[in-house]
Amino acid sequence: MKSRSPALVVAAVVIGLLLIALGIVYWVEPAGSLPSFIPGHTAGSGHHHVKHGIAAFLLGVALLVFAWFQTGPNARGASAE
Amino acid sequence: MILAAPITYFQAIVLGLLQGVSELFPISSLGHSVILPTLLGWDIHQNDDYFLSFLVATHLATAIVLFIFFWRDWVRILHGLGRSLRDRGIAPDDHDAKLGWLLVVATIPAGILGLLFEHQLRKVFASPEAAAILLMLNGAMLYGAELLRRRAPQTDTDDDVRIAKQVTYTRGFAVGAAQALALFPGFSRSGAAMGGGLIVGLSNKDAARFAFLLATPIIGAAALLKLPQLMGHQGDGVRGQALVGALCSAFTAYLAVRFLMRFFETNRLTPFAIYCAIAGGLSAIVIALQ
Repeated sequence: MKSRSPALVVAAVVIGLLLIALGIVYWVEPAGSLPSFIPGHTAGSGHHHVKHGIAAFLLGVALLVFAWFQTGPNARGASAE
Repeated sequence: MILAAPITYFQAIVLGLLQGVSELFPISSLGHSVILPTLLGWDIHQNDDYFLSFLVATHLATAIVLFIFFWRDWVRILHGLGRSLRDRGIAPDDHDAKLGWLLVVATIPAGILGLLFEHQLRKVFASPEAAAILLMLNGAMLYGAELLRRRAPQTDTDDDVRIAKQVTYTRGFAVGAAQALALFPGFSRSGAAMGGGLIVGLSNKDAARFAFLLATPIIGAAALLKLPQLMGHQGDGVRGQALVGALCSAFTAYLAVRFLMRFFETNRLTPFAIYCAIAGGLSAIVIALQ
């Protein structure tokens, strides 16, 4: 893995955390209570979008792992070269 | 409401034996589990709750067998992942870590697409007619992969080192995404992954190894996700059959993975392509005449 702008790392962390939060919202809130701009919102539905939650959570974790590697000594060394 | 008849123990044995083989052979287990009951005149339907619960058990058994078969590899891969996380980087000679992250990257597209679209696609394409036609297309895909394969020089003696050197993250992602084809009953997950592996330059043996390593987390996670279904009321009346089916599935999955790892040392996907074309074509004709 080669290096990288701090902006990319910050974006990955922010989006990763947002996706993890979204995953938790999917697990906790029924489809009817989700904000209307979130995919899966269905007025009056009591169904929980568990799979949507898992997908969002795992994507969020993947972005945090990506950011973790980007700030590693190898990546920093590569960016300094 | 009329409840569908549960699976008999004989049917569970036949379907379990079939599942273990067809999940790992590149011939689509889902397609066969849709087509075979129709051809045999069994009143079993792909979208029935009890049948889905039954499939959870057989898939879990297959995943456990794969995990045990490649146990030593998984230990090395997991250690490699741990090392890379600790060091926040992958050392150039750490092929276990590279292979581990390749598997993670390749699992993401298939996992996400499966989570989001599996239910809808299964509802739309679970008819035996569609599965028979898609099985023929699976044959075309396997044959096409053999035609389009890249022949990269094989310089390393270790299987995993060859895979780690040959497959980039982008290619790994593409191979993983190809697995999503298996959401359509008739297309094979292992076939798509093996075909993708050939196209990115792996040998048949390495493509099969990568496909099986890739299949373990996907099949296992999908089965674990639906395990509550088998343990809940949807599993009522079918748990005994599911256990028998799972044992049969584990038995044939073990034989299948042993056979295929040797078969692909010297052979290609072509025989499976021919089988899928013929089996899909004949099934389509028989189903149309029924």
